[in-house]
Amino acid sequence: MRSLAGVCVVLASLLTGSPASAQDVESLKKELEQMRQQFESMREGYEKAINQLGERIKALESKQAAPSTAGPSPTAEAPPSATSPTTAGSSSVASPPTVATPPAAATPSTAGAPPTTGPAPTGTAPAATPAAPPTVVAQQPAAPPPAAAPGLMELARPREPFSLYQQRGAGQLLFDMGVTGDFVGNLTQNNVQQAQGGTFPGLENYFFAREVELSLFGQIDPYARAEVRFEADQNQRGQTPTVTLAEANLTLMTLPFDTQAKLGQMRNRFGLTNQIHEHDLPFVDRPDVLVQFLGQDGLVEKGAEFTWVPELPFYVEVLGGVFNGDNTTAFGYASLKHPLVTGRVRTFFELGDYGAIQLGASVANGLQPNGLTNTLVGADLKYKYVPDGWQHPLLTVAGEFLYQLRRVSDPTTADPTQTQTLDRYGWYLFGEVQPAQFGWWSRFAPGLRYDWTEYPINPGSQWAIEPYLTFYPSEFLRFRLVYKHTHGNTPGCCTNTGVGSARIKDEVFLQSTFIMGAHPAHPF
Amino acid sequence: MRLALCGALVLVAVALPATGAGASDKIRVVATTTDLKALTEVVGGDLVDVDALARGNQNPHDLEVRPSLMVKVRRADLLVTNGLELDQWAEVVVQGANNPKVIPGATGRIDASQGLLVLEVPTTRVDRSMGDVHPVGNPHYTLDPGLAPAITANIVEGLARIAPSQRAAFEQNRKAFLGRLDPAMARWTTAMTPFKGARVVVDHNMWLYFLTRFGLLQAGTVEERPGIPPTPGHLTRLIALMKDEHVKVILSAPWSDQKLAERVGQEADARVVVMASGVGALKGTDSYLDMVDYNVRAVAQGLR
Repeated sequence: MRSLAGVCVVLASLLTGSPASAQDVESLKKELEQMRQQFESMREGYEKAINQLGERIKALESKQAAPSTAGPSPTAEAPPSATSPTTAGSSSVASPPTVATPPAAATPSTAGAPPTTGPAPTGTAPAATPAAPPTVVAQQPAAPPPAAAPGLMELARPREPFSLYQQRGAGQLLFDMGVTGDFVGNLTQNNVQQAQGGTFPGLENYFFAREVELSLFGQIDPYARAEVRFEADQNQRGQTPTVTLAEANLTLMTLPFDTQAKLGQMRNRFGLTNQIHEHDLPFVDRPDVLVQFLGQDGLVEKGAEFTWVPELPFYVEVLGGVFNGDNTTAFGYASLKHPLVTGRVRTFFELGDYGAIQLGASVANGLQPNGLTNTLVGADLKYKYVPDGWQHPLLTVAGEFLYQLRRVSDPTTADPTQTQTLDRYGWYLFGEVQPAQFGWWSRFAPGLRYDWTEYPINPGSQWAIEPYLTFYPSEFLRFRLVYKHTHGNTPGCCTNTGVGSARIKDEVFLQSTFIMGAHPAHPF
Repeated sequence: MRLALCGALVLVAVALPATGAGASDKIRVVATTTDLKALTEVVGGDLVDVDALARGNQNPHDLEVRPSLMVKVRRADLLVTNGLELDQWAEVVVQGANNPKVIPGATGRIDASQGLLVLEVPTTRVDRSMGDVHPVGNPHYTLDPGLAPAITANIVEGLARIAPSQRAAFEQNRKAFLGRLDPAMARWTTAMTPFKGARVVVDHNMWLYFLTRFGLLQAGTVEERPGIPPTPGHLTRLIALMKDEHVKVILSAPWSDQKLAERVGQEADARVVVMASGVGALKGTDSYLDMVDYNVRAVAQGLR
């Protein structure tokens, strides 16, 4: 319509403004007339279609208003529906039920089903007429018809910030969003606090927002999906939590040779635990070896990861990545001319019907901020045993080993070009049981982690043991009580302030975590 | 680095011939549940090779995403999903499978719920204070045999998209299945007619379509809210309700807490009937018709 009007205006201006010949004017008039005729025929067609639709709606409304006495007879005719399968009515049992009973609506207070989510009751309480056939309830097709275009008043009306969610339904919300909150309180010795050498440095004997995250994720188009995560966290005592971009990346899902590419900022798929966000970790803190070799936040990089899953009888995922190298602890050169290159191979085997093991190997090679190379090689495993009929694993055992080859300046000479290689390693192993299948005790999961690691540059090593108890009131709420004993073997080590010492420390943590909104299922 | 590179090359060398070796003329279909697998098999016949991600006796709401599931989807030409968020975990499987044929929006996706009249579509805003509610309606429609024709019609459409030349064969297979379903449906309806209007309690709100089909009424649920274990107060109210309304049967899925259901049953003088929550969930339920047959017999015996 608008384009036609535009054409008319342009034509009119041409007619009035140009010194066209009489023949041109005649031909233009003819064209204009033809266009008018086309427009009229289109208008009539649309009016006819709208009238037909109106009649159908009226007919449907009158059918719904009529009291139904028939139960969900298997021989009932399928209701006319624009979305129903065309062949559904070819059998006497083909039709979906035209009516349904509102079971929960009969006794909402005791039936357990939330009354607001049940089908709308229609006045006839089944409790009063138990022998009566099921009464009609509101039913909606899976895919509602598209909403009409909003009018000007509708567009001008003030809206709530999150009214988008209220409209959620098929075709309404084009992506998922969720909020997670992870809060940690900890107690430890005064000397550890003075040294700021606790598991969360500078936040000893303090309760803080470790990670509050807003996640948005979904399909961009038929070929790609994206995820964006904003994160607020607190790194210093008394500080207001700061918001940062935790992840923002897109995954191209239809590349040649069945490969996928993930581009943007991401938690690298290096090893077992690095890719897991803080709130999803199976323990309160990142394992010591990862903190020592990759820093408090782990490996979070900007670049690209490519994955390939060959078509084999068993699962193998091959991954390669190229990144800036922004991790100041291990690879801080920050240049694509000398990028951080990562690789990972992951495989998986079922061990009987209920056990399964995943094995992985990872490598990362890049330059440190001083331009010297650093290479990390890792191996990991994860085993889960889920008995028949259980929804959660009875037993989970996992561990990771990291080996570092880092070039450093030779301390025995003043010549900065003289370097040596430090080979250091560390590992951790953890186990968790969730011994009850049902009931109150099924919500508890005790676990134990053991850490041993050398320091990446300084001499010496440390070990730690960390028993913990996790309590899940529901799938979306979790509390965890943790004790951690850490023992370093290098006298004088482990202080960030020059005073105090965190060589030997005992810490108690209380963690509370919630998930609100959408949250994707966790991989193995 | 060299070692890793060599390892990757070896993998490529191993994988490339393997990709061709496994190929066959059959359409490789993966269904998220055994019900959808069984219905795809009856439609696809010899032309398809169907696998399921969840086992019949597993709770399909919350499946652990194992890489072995990704292997199945990696090879699939077609993925049949429930479509009403029963199997949302399947998206994580798809993301890890690197198979563009079955990603969202691809032609190799079948939403088996298309065109069905979905029950319990929320009419008000829902949130998780109501438990783990399904925001697009009750997804357990495969338990109603009256919906099997519509579901199989969706499957025919999906299969025909992949293999248009075989549409007639799929239609023929479906017709043959409906030919077996019709008399079975008449038999089930006859068997359930004496119990029309009877009230039952369920452990999870998954039998609504089945109950509606045969005219039974759901008096309550053992779960206080979907996915949330019951509190003692809820159980007390439920037992009182069952006594008041003379509810004699509790329908339970194999993966539910049957000890709890037994306890409620003892208190309320009701018997617990373990139902086949999916094809293959119990012995003797290896086909779709067998599953429905089993459930009808179990409910009829329980109510007798």
